[in-house]
Amino acid sequence: MTGAGPDPRPRMTEAGGLAGARCEACGYAVAFPRPRCPRCRGELAPAEFGPGGTVWASTVVHVPVPGVEPPFGLAYVDLDDDGPRVLVHTGGEAPLPVGARAELAAPDSLGNLRAR
Amino acid sequence: MTAVWGVGTTRFAKQRERSGAELAWEAVLEALSDAGVDDVDAVYVGTVFGAPGVAQRVLHTLGIVDVPVVTVENACASGTTAFHEARWAIEAGRFDRVLVLGIEQMSAHFDGAIHPEPSDAEGRSGMALPSLYAMSASRYLHEGWVTPEQLAQVSVKNHAHALENPRAQYSGRFTVQEVLASRMIADPLTLLQCCPISDAAAAAVLGRERGEPRDVPVRASRLASGRLWDQTTDHVWGFELVRDVARAAYEEAGIAPADADLFEVHDAFTIGEIVTTEGLGLAEEGGGGELVASGHTALGGAQPVNPSGGLLSRGHPLGATGLAQVAEVVTQLRGDAGGRQVDGARVGVVETMGGGVAGIDGNGCVVAVLGG
Repeated sequence: MTGAGPDPRPRMTEAGGLAGARCEACGYAVAFPRPRCPRCRGELAPAEFGPGGTVWASTVVHVPVPGVEPPFGLAYVDLDDDGPRVLVHTGGEAPLPVGARAELAAPDSLGNLRAR
Repeated sequence: MTAVWGVGTTRFAKQRERSGAELAWEAVLEALSDAGVDDVDAVYVGTVFGAPGVAQRVLHTLGIVDVPVVTVENACASGTTAFHEARWAIEAGRFDRVLVLGIEQMSAHFDGAIHPEPSDAEGRSGMALPSLYAMSASRYLHEGWVTPEQLAQVSVKNHAHALENPRAQYSGRFTVQEVLASRMIADPLTLLQCCPISDAAAAAVLGRERGEPRDVPVRASRLASGRLWDQTTDHVWGFELVRDVARAAYEEAGIAPADADLFEVHDAFTIGEIVTTEGLGLAEEGGGGELVASGHTALGGAQPVNPSGGLLSRGHPLGATGLAQVAEVVTQLRGDAGGRQVDGARVGVVETMGGGVAGIDGNGCVVAVLGG
């Protein structure tokens, strides 16, 4: 997707985790940059989350969206240790079972976070 | 107290051949005629994909000039946000009579699902509205709160309701099996569980109560954006926002959920109506599937939901949807709804939910209580 401005999606660390942040005051975890904690406006410190997590919900999409060929899977994964809930791409065969374990994987060629 | 003096709508359909101005003319002229007025003090307009200046571009051709014109965008709740703001402007004494207009030409922008917004973290990742709602359905199926057949029943009900709505985009007598067998869009939501792309305009004239028997009082209206929606909640997207806004609206109106005779709610997808009926207090959380299966929310049931056919069947022209809902409730409360009339309707509730921003429980939700 070109001409769409800076990429707002969460990023991964070189170690394979999610490059997020955690509030130094209340411990709230966020997946992508922001100036302060949105819950208490405390200072945020960079934090790495995952790569492990638990599937909160999942679907397989059968209609095209710009730049993505259907079918493609999507899941919300709650990263371990009170980490953030992140949207990840999964295989297009079937939705992941809710409550199943998942692990972040390197982004696909479109730059989307993946899980397996 | 503020009252709805008149309402007007176009039909709901893909109408590429008609300009936005033509759509607006039809809805506005019908609303002005219904209200029995020629001019207004201000105009509030709801639109999502309308071009800059769309409101003034259509209004000046009707001679509606030299008044404040305020255009608002609040995703699918744009029309009811305009309604809510107009109502409170009247309550505050700023204006005596206000035109509210919702307008959307979806087919000029989209062939299929609405494109995700690329500046949004999830939109950039390919999250479209069908998949957002599918996530809620995934969760409900996992919890055992709904069955695929109960989801499909929402579509069966609303398509049947629309048979008696001559302005509806789609209608039909479908079976649960036909709904489930239609093309998969976002698992588990099939095509007949998703609202269509629509072009339409809808309008209402609001004013101070003036003693006209056909006017419908606005007992309450509330608007809020969603709280943070994240790893700390197991409620599906939008549930808490609908619940909290509805509670505030009921309190303002002095009613309980059981006091309302009918509801027009945001059934953009079948799971949306299930979750919304729970948020509105018609059932406990997790009880919306059984509620629709029981017939409680069907025409002829105790509290019909979406007698117009709802977004699923009447159509969902985003910015116009809220005013279409208001028009339906006003028509019902006047007893003018013909074959889809809710017997003895005295109090009606409108609920509209806008989404698309990752990380919050909804861009905006409006709940309004009319009549009584």
